[in-house]
Amino acid sequence: MQNPYIPYPVTVDKIITEVDTKDIKTFRFKFVNPEDEQKYAYIPGQFGELSIYGKGESPIGIASSPTQKGYVEFTVQKAGVVTSALHEMEEGEVMGLRGPLGNSWPLEFLEGKNIVIVGGGFAFTTLRSLINYMIYGDNRKRFGNITVIYGARNPGLLLYKDELIEWQKRDDLNINVTVDKGDATWKGREGFVPAVCKDVAPSKENAVAVICGPPVMIRFTLPVFFELGFSKENIITSLEMRMKCGIGKCGRCNVGSKYVCKDGPVFTLAELDKLTPEY
Amino acid sequence: MEKRLIKKDALAGIAKKMAGDFLVWAPVKKEDNVLFDPLQKDGEPYFAYLNSKNAPKNVFFPHTETMMKFTRTPKGMVFSAEENRADQSVLFGVRPCDAHSFALLDKLFDQEKYQDAYYVAKRQSTTVISIACVQPPYATCFCTSVDGAPVASEGTDILLTDIGGDYLVEFITPKGEKLANYFGDAKADAAAETKKNEIAANAAGMIKSKIPAHEVKPILDVNFDNPFWNTIHGKCLACGTCTYMCPTCHCFDISDEVKGADGVRIRSWDSCMFPMFTKETSGHNPRSSQKERWRQRTMHKFKYYVDNFNAIACVGCGRCVMSCPVNIDIRKVVEDISKL
Repeated sequence: MQNPYIPYPVTVDKIITEVDTKDIKTFRFKFVNPEDEQKYAYIPGQFGELSIYGKGESPIGIASSPTQKGYVEFTVQKAGVVTSALHEMEEGEVMGLRGPLGNSWPLEFLEGKNIVIVGGGFAFTTLRSLINYMIYGDNRKRFGNITVIYGARNPGLLLYKDELIEWQKRDDLNINVTVDKGDATWKGREGFVPAVCKDVAPSKENAVAVICGPPVMIRFTLPVFFELGFSKENIITSLEMRMKCGIGKCGRCNVGSKYVCKDGPVFTLAELDKLTPEY
Repeated sequence: MEKRLIKKDALAGIAKKMAGDFLVWAPVKKEDNVLFDPLQKDGEPYFAYLNSKNAPKNVFFPHTETMMKFTRTPKGMVFSAEENRADQSVLFGVRPCDAHSFALLDKLFDQEKYQDAYYVAKRQSTTVISIACVQPPYATCFCTSVDGAPVASEGTDILLTDIGGDYLVEFITPKGEKLANYFGDAKADAAAETKKNEIAANAAGMIKSKIPAHEVKPILDVNFDNPFWNTIHGKCLACGTCTYMCPTCHCFDISDEVKGADGVRIRSWDSCMFPMFTKETSGHNPRSSQKERWRQRTMHKFKYYVDNFNAIACVGCGRCVMSCPVNIDIRKVVEDISKL
């Protein structure tokens, strides 16, 4: 019997400081036992439990795409006990990784559709996984138009800056990056995500919106998509709750009878409407 | 398999004989309480009780248990799974309500996907022997309202029923049959069976406390926001006694403990009654007051578990009713919900 509570040992292979404030870093892990990578086969939208000696575990969305072989990446903000310890780790150190956990972005449902991706701030990580998955090689043919709207408070807080530049060079991606307030060197768009969504006005035809961001962004973005005619079945988001076990047993992350760790974290708005508003 | 009869006074001897062969959890008297404990060599099991003070869920789901060990090295950590081998053991003399709770906990811990290795190992290696309730029960017993009965075999491997001078021994599962040789060779006749059925009916009739447990599910489905939820928690101290005593409460925390370079990851019982249970790093707490926590506990038992496993997560043992320091009574809560 595979014990789902035991992490795979991973080596911190690379640490990338993502933002000017230095409190968000991307950690690239390699499996100590190469055969574990196969066992860790994941789908964009899933998460893992990062496991640090003596500190505990923290559930974090997977930021890399399964098309990126040989490693798995997590972008983590320094916030609590575990993530603070993680930020102190150095390349070459060994820690633990559990998962992959949770459901995922519904790839089969997304296939053949036009995809609108809306991300705010730090909540862009599993969306990045999805984008990299969709644009990888022949995968791109399986999806219609891909529109990305991504915003951060200021240019220094944008994640994956090099990748954003690469994506903007592609003609099969419509990338819209915005910041609430630019700085002297910022030549891009300024404005809040909901306003940019209104401006870009993606068509609802055969389209699905995948939206992740801080609650305030979600609150003002959803009405824009309702106005554009998107149905609740075609708006998808991902929830976060305090978690421990990650497999629906320890009892703390349920919203109604659904466990965010096991039945989520990905839900359509239509599904969320059926749950209790307790998250 | 055929049923057997054993003399009433043979019970302690059987438990002690088993204890010579493997680990036996049996009821023992500790000051005013009866608790399930490993039966020691010179220990005496105590059967003159209505029910144990605490639910025996800790046999499969200990208050605290080690999940894995780790060692700090210059390169980070090396960890090893705790060897998860459970020795053959017997849980001797639980009440049918508590045996019922094991069947309910199995639904959660022994799912096809994500089997809980720690619980399942102990559950599989343990034979559950229940003693049916034939005496007048506690006034707080309400098993018959939640799919249980004072004489019932759900979740048990061997059921013993006092039918006068003898216990009728029924081997419910193949696991129970394997221990048949401990129960002598006196076969039970049809008369013993008839007597047991009479006693079972009589015992069920003695459970006077009833709650409309099945009626409240559709009411809970549509009353998440009902102002009724403001009326329960006022006097709740958030002490967590109800969840600690409950045979079906299974929430747990996972934490690390370190001593020098060595550490362990442990899990310990936790409670939805505690504010920290759901508090997030950001400070946000989806269940921010005792109102939400009481709603969660009630909903979990009478709605969410029904949604997920088609079973009410309450066995009617009444321990939460007896032990609540401020007399919040789940029976009244359910009764009130049925009138919404």
